[in-house]
Amino acid sequence: MPEDMSIESYLAQGGVLTNPSNVPPRYRAELMKLMATFVDSELAGAAGFADIINQGPGIKERIAAAKIVLEKTDNADRVLSIMGEFGANTARYANHHPWSARLDRDADIGASRSEHDMRLAVFNYPLQGWADAVVMNLLMGRAVAVQLAEFSMVSYQPLAEAFRAIAPVEARHAELAEEGLIKLLEAEDKASVQTSVDYWWPRVAASFGSSDADRLKALKTLGLRRTDSQELRARWSAETTAIVEKLGLTAG
Amino acid sequence: MARFHDLEVTDIHKTIRDAVVVTLKPVNGAAEEFDFTQGQYLTFRQDFEGEELRRSYSICAGKDEGILQVGIKRVDGGAFSTWANEDLKVGDTVQAMPPMGGFFTELNAANEKQYLGFAGGSGITPVLSILKTTLAREPGSTFTLVYANKGVNTIMFREELEDLKNTYMGRFNVIHVLESDAQEIDLFTGLVTEEKCADLFKTGWIDIENVDTAFICGPEPMMLGIAKALRDHGLTDNQIKFELFASAQPGRLKRKVVSKDAASSANQAKASITLDGATQTIEMPKDTTILDAALDNAMDAPYACKAGVCSTCRCKVLEGEVEMVTNHALEDYEVEKGYVLSCQSFPLTDNVVVDFDQ
Repeated sequence: MPEDMSIESYLAQGGVLTNPSNVPPRYRAELMKLMATFVDSELAGAAGFADIINQGPGIKERIAAAKIVLEKTDNADRVLSIMGEFGANTARYANHHPWSARLDRDADIGASRSEHDMRLAVFNYPLQGWADAVVMNLLMGRAVAVQLAEFSMVSYQPLAEAFRAIAPVEARHAELAEEGLIKLLEAEDKASVQTSVDYWWPRVAASFGSSDADRLKALKTLGLRRTDSQELRARWSAETTAIVEKLGLTAG
Repeated sequence: MARFHDLEVTDIHKTIRDAVVVTLKPVNGAAEEFDFTQGQYLTFRQDFEGEELRRSYSICAGKDEGILQVGIKRVDGGAFSTWANEDLKVGDTVQAMPPMGGFFTELNAANEKQYLGFAGGSGITPVLSILKTTLAREPGSTFTLVYANKGVNTIMFREELEDLKNTYMGRFNVIHVLESDAQEIDLFTGLVTEEKCADLFKTGWIDIENVDTAFICGPEPMMLGIAKALRDHGLTDNQIKFELFASAQPGRLKRKVVSKDAASSANQAKASITLDGATQTIEMPKDTTILDAALDNAMDAPYACKAGVCSTCRCKVLEGEVEMVTNHALEDYEVEKGYVLSCQSFPLTDNVVVDFDQ
């Protein structure tokens, strides 16, 4: 056999880990944070969207919204079960926090997390009605697509595989939002939709987090990140600006 | 959370000098929970001088053999593997969690796929389970195994693999690559490296163009080299399945040292916190958690739920005592080793030393 190699240098060279038995402690911690951020965001997103289902203007819209709630909850469950293999108490985890809780619409928390869960800051803001929810879902759906493309390459194979399975489901949610928005714009006045775009754009942009060169380097060494946050945000901004402008709206 | 179940050892035999194949039977009606998927592993626990050790070993049986079987190779200085090789006998009871792991792909009888497996030493165990199951359940598929070993004497399951070649003539092929024993074909001597793989592809021993899925289980450098070669020859990450059981699983852990000066005074404690290789010593109130104290001092300590359920904030207490008020995530054996959930732990002694890096 070839000579022994430390897990750290294996990871730094692009190695893949496959089970909890040999992940180093700091790797475990960063991986758990990453998973908790995803699970909390999905649970909070689904819980917030659940309240909107009944506001859908027609039965097709309500079906689409209910499907999104169902699938986001299912996606949370997939990743939470991986956390469970590391010892997280999955049953308690799912209920330890009121996922539908929101701050005020004009609260200013930047990219910071709340005290008791890891949801991305954007999921702390309340939705205001159907059109607002559709806009948020489109902008955030596009952001999720960019983030999942990044995280589908993480060095923990069970999580990378979960994200690869989740990515097309989330991509479909953004498509549903885009279709919903096209329909809305036929009836709704454009100004109110634009107000929602203006409201959500900077908040979704902030969800990419800040660039911290040292941290990025550390996460790259563990194989948990590849791309700088700025770059991901720029990619999202370019892609989403094109979509928003195609709809006759202005990007934030 | 997964629970441990009792399993009875119904058979144990050597496959090579220092590796045993252990057949297990779930008792107390747990059979259903041990209905595994090919390529999965079992996590065992066993007490050694009052300290619990956990070790994971891959299942080597195929789905259609109707048995639960793991292969355990003795590792120098490895308490569990030495015990399994020297002391374990038929009739003994061992404890394991239900099968876990995702080292497999969905099988379908209609598939006509070409699979490629790489195994290094005892890394053969899950690959053997996969190839036996695949050959039995996908009559239109083929499987090529590249099996790396030191020498002929250390090839686990050598005879069984020969038998499989005869059973599945034309659908199963094994290439033995031996580090120290010379073979007729030079290409089959040495280590399975990136270059060796490229040579195997180039010379046509492996039809890499038509490989649908590759499985790799072996030591770290071997995995890296093979993965690189596969990617260079057009396989995507979706087509490469890995299983790694590091050769260096963490060794025995020392018990935590209780500070001699355990006398507690007032409300202040001195906490020495290690994170990412750096240690900070801080003064903290005893009604603050270790995690909050670290965060208050600009340390990037890990956490997620802050409710004692997720275990992200786990750290190890090396000196002093803390009180963990809630724990829904750590198991007794972890607590015994000194691990605590820092989001739920308050200093009891005037001095505490904790480490997030262990």
